[in-house]
Amino acid sequence: MEGKVRIGFYALTSCYGCQLQLAMMDEILQLLPHAEIVCWFMLERDSYEDEPVDIAFIEGSVSTEEEVELVKKIRENAKIVVAVGSCAVHGGVQSWEKDKSLEELWKTVYGDGKVKFEPKMAEPVENYIKVDYRIYGCPPEKKDFLYALGTFLVGSWPEDIDYPVCVECRLNGHPCILIEKGEPCLGPITRAGCDARCPGFGVACIGCRGAIGYDVAWFDSLAKTFKEKGLTKEEILQRMKMFNAHNPKLEEMVEKIFQGVEE
Amino acid sequence: MKNLYLPITVDHIARVEGKGGVEIVVGDDGVKEVKLNIIEGPRFFEAITVGKKLDEALAVYPRICSFCSAAHKLTAVEAAEKAIGFTPREEIQALREVLYIGDMIESHALHLYLLVLPDYLGYSNPLKMVDEYKKEIGIALDLKNLGSWMMDELGARAIHQENVVLGGFGKLPDKTTLETMKKRLQEALPKAEYTFELFSKLEQYEEVEGPIIHLAVKPRGDVYGIYGDYIKVSDGFEFPVEDYKKHIVEKVVEHSFAKHSFYQGEKPFMVGALPRLVNNADTLYGRARELYESHRDLLRPTNPFANNLAQALELVYFTERAIDLIDEALAKWPVAPRDRVEVKNGFGVSSTEAPRGIVTYALEVKDGRVAYADIITPTAYNFAMMEVHVRMMAEKHYNDDPERLKYLTEMVVRAYDPCISCSVHVARL
Repeated sequence: MEGKVRIGFYALTSCYGCQLQLAMMDEILQLLPHAEIVCWFMLERDSYEDEPVDIAFIEGSVSTEEEVELVKKIRENAKIVVAVGSCAVHGGVQSWEKDKSLEELWKTVYGDGKVKFEPKMAEPVENYIKVDYRIYGCPPEKKDFLYALGTFLVGSWPEDIDYPVCVECRLNGHPCILIEKGEPCLGPITRAGCDARCPGFGVACIGCRGAIGYDVAWFDSLAKTFKEKGLTKEEILQRMKMFNAHNPKLEEMVEKIFQGVEE
Repeated sequence: MKNLYLPITVDHIARVEGKGGVEIVVGDDGVKEVKLNIIEGPRFFEAITVGKKLDEALAVYPRICSFCSAAHKLTAVEAAEKAIGFTPREEIQALREVLYIGDMIESHALHLYLLVLPDYLGYSNPLKMVDEYKKEIGIALDLKNLGSWMMDELGARAIHQENVVLGGFGKLPDKTTLETMKKRLQEALPKAEYTFELFSKLEQYEEVEGPIIHLAVKPRGDVYGIYGDYIKVSDGFEFPVEDYKKHIVEKVVEHSFAKHSFYQGEKPFMVGALPRLVNNADTLYGRARELYESHRDLLRPTNPFANNLAQALELVYFTERAIDLIDEALAKWPVAPRDRVEVKNGFGVSSTEAPRGIVTYALEVKDGRVAYADIITPTAYNFAMMEVHVRMMAEKHYNDDPERLKYLTEMVVRAYDPCISCSVHVARL
């Protein structure tokens, strides 16, 4: 790309962790000679949400009517739209109970209290606008940002990872939490790229990078193993929904595989 | 002319965590209305975790806020462990506090250097300070990196630490890593002191001077720190953390997805580094104690801007404190990372000191699942008081250039180090 790349970092509803992860990278100083930050409220007071940019990074889930308007505006102004992190890509943990109604959740929390803004059930950015690229994770790894920014700056296109955390876990030689400890590790169906961070600490994967495509062998094996370990279909679904509640194929696939396993 | 209203608004306050704005309405006889609009959407954390497995809920809670994810994780885990009747070993508790201090160091360094300092030096963005303030940015990055690395080693990563589990940790760093950590903390001490010197020279605006009610956790063992079982109030009152609902009420306000909190029914109050110092300075030790004694005139309980300097003082204190806690753990080495826990039914409340003030978790556990959850975050505790101070600033400056007024009121908000994302929580009424 010629001249400085115009970059915007926009926040919807989130924990701000994706922005924090980027802000914490010392490497960002190397980006500065090549980029102009048009919008990034977390660091820049002179931020503008409705200016044209080359790359728009959006983090957070769409959770208010105002945010619906905002993402549409960002799409109009941006050449490339990148959804960053679990909230923007998958709706985030706030989507865990997406099957309950907004009214029910609101009442549990705010009682009869009213607020002048319009809340919505949390949704991924893609439900409202076309997204060109995704950076996965809750939060994404630093190298995810480096890879994406690096490839964009040389005018190329980053590629998705299409293998699961299990692969990285095996390569690292960690003991298998699922088989050896019987814990509900989601490594077999979760998109790799974290270098099997949690299993490396002896902690079961919770699937924060989201599921890879379902039509892979790992998914069957996982459902089978979960079932053998005594997990119910409901328990499996609840766990998979933490970071994947908006996937339309989730219930169908778990149901199908569960039936298959029973034969 | 009657009823000529001049609204002055900042739609989106920059250099804070989360989305909030300031709205000031000025009429012909002065400031009519001051509102902190919290426009970040609701995330219903309590409602979505009720009925869920305890370990899964504990993985979700830190995601309330990235700036204090360790605080959320460790407070939620303590509440859960209290509920199921488990007390971690002393050395595990010490190492958890070291992890928590990692969050404290990182968060304070980020807040002071990247969010607050640019205002004082006339920059809109901290990255623009690099050429002119090489030393300061260098220190900011060093302290930030130290805090993140401590969280990487003890929490599995700097944001959303999965390595803290019921009963202890998934895995502990080896002895050499802890020794290295100690060494890096020792090397960081002069940088923390430099930060304190730097911030002791910055202006604290007299416009917002006035009495403040300060709430802080009374530190366990009478050593200045993060954990405790009582809340101490600057009016002399103390209450057990379990009684928080008797003394603090939360109200839904129309202009904010975040609720406002009041002490004894109606009184706004402050939580954070300054309230910790106001209530617990007698439990400080080491170099921080000396700095506190020699700078008491600047660490005034009556000025929210003193919160910045209080954070700088805590950078010194917590750096030293982490060294002592690591020594405590090393004295018992080798340390087993976790104990077996039995998930019994019960109810537990934990209040700890997050970088920006008290965070409270109340959890009921039934059949391995969360049966009830109530969370109050530091910023939700602070909002009512923040609005009072923004109003004080506005009342003194409403005739000034609106840009100047915006700038000053934003600085008031920033002094509180608000986490707006985490304040948009949900609490049962």
